Amino acid sequence: MKNSIASDNKALAAAITYATQQNELAAARNAIDPADLNRLVAFLPSSVDNVGLILDLNALAARSGLALSNIDVMTTAVVSKGNDSTLAPTNPVGSVNLALSAVGTYTALQAFLRGVETSQRLLDIRELVVKGSDTGVYTYQMKITLYWLR
Amino acid sequence: MALPPTIPTSFVPRSTSVAARQLRTNFTGTFGFFAYIIFGIILVLTLSIFFYDRILAGTLTSRDAALAQAQKAIDIATVEGFVQLRDRLNAGALLLANHVALSKFFKLLETLLPASVRFNSLHLTIDDTKKVKLEGLGIAKNFNALATVSTAFAKDGHIKDAIFSNIVVTKDGSVSFALSATLDQKVVAFSP
Repeated sequence: MKNSIASDNKALAAAITYATQQNELAAARNAIDPADLNRLVAFLPSSVDNVGLILDLNALAARSGLALSNIDVMTTAVVSKGNDSTLAPTNPVGSVNLALSAVGTYTALQAFLRGVETSQRLLDIRELVVKGSDTGVYTYQMKITLYWLR
Repeated sequence: MALPPTIPTSFVPRSTSVAARQLRTNFTGTFGFFAYIIFGIILVLTLSIFFYDRILAGTLTSRDAALAQAQKAIDIATVEGFVQLRDRLNAGALLLANHVALSKFFKLLETLLPASVRFNSLHLTIDDTKKVKLEGLGIAKNFNALATVSTAFAKDGHIKDAIFSNIVVTKDGSVSFALSATLDQKVVAFSP
């Protein structure tokens, strides 16, 4: 019985520590601007939502003056151990590659690249192929990695 | 004839002496006294153990109740929320540190390439080790223009191991070439 009481005392001490830490964490979280928390969720969302992203990319391409001709999810390149050398072994981040084809001017490409780089959702261009023409309109193929929190 | 002193003179048993009887009475009284003391001690110990057990049982019950209440106070959704926020902040910082910005490379290329040199195709790849490879096919107006580009790449230092190959001088004097190089990671590193 004494052992049970001792074990209960330990558990109660842990519960008190937990409650204290929870209060500290809640205070720290509340100190963050809710708008910033929303931006953080948009930066690394909890789901893949590649369809929503494709819509956003399409809109960005249209604003930049680039015509997207093909967008495909590269299923073979799933799972971001893309950064496995830097992230922990139990990686909470998933990733997938999108393959894009587009046509447009060099200026349009620059605007599109800047849009992707500064996108609220984190996107990394891992591969870019530019093929020129004498008309000043180029064709582009890119692989874009998108991330989400598992 | 005189009898030896070891032979009793009578067959009638002699009565017990008063001293022996007193000794037995004293012994019984002392034994009884100690027995009562031991009994008392045992009784006190038994009662103590009984009450101590009751106290322990009461303490355990109250501790169990407090623990159950503490467990009830833990909200799993709150905990998961904290874990997600921690993961998001840690992973976000790490991913942002490795974020790629290819537009910086194109800006660099614009400053290094003279108007007399252009690329027909470019292929940029970034592998898992963040190594950036550049391959391209281009045309320079003349051989001097190509040499200028080669010197500019070497001088700048961001486009490393630049190897110009398949150099062919065409009839109009222009030079077609293939380029293979690696990029300094700083060239494609995102900076807010």
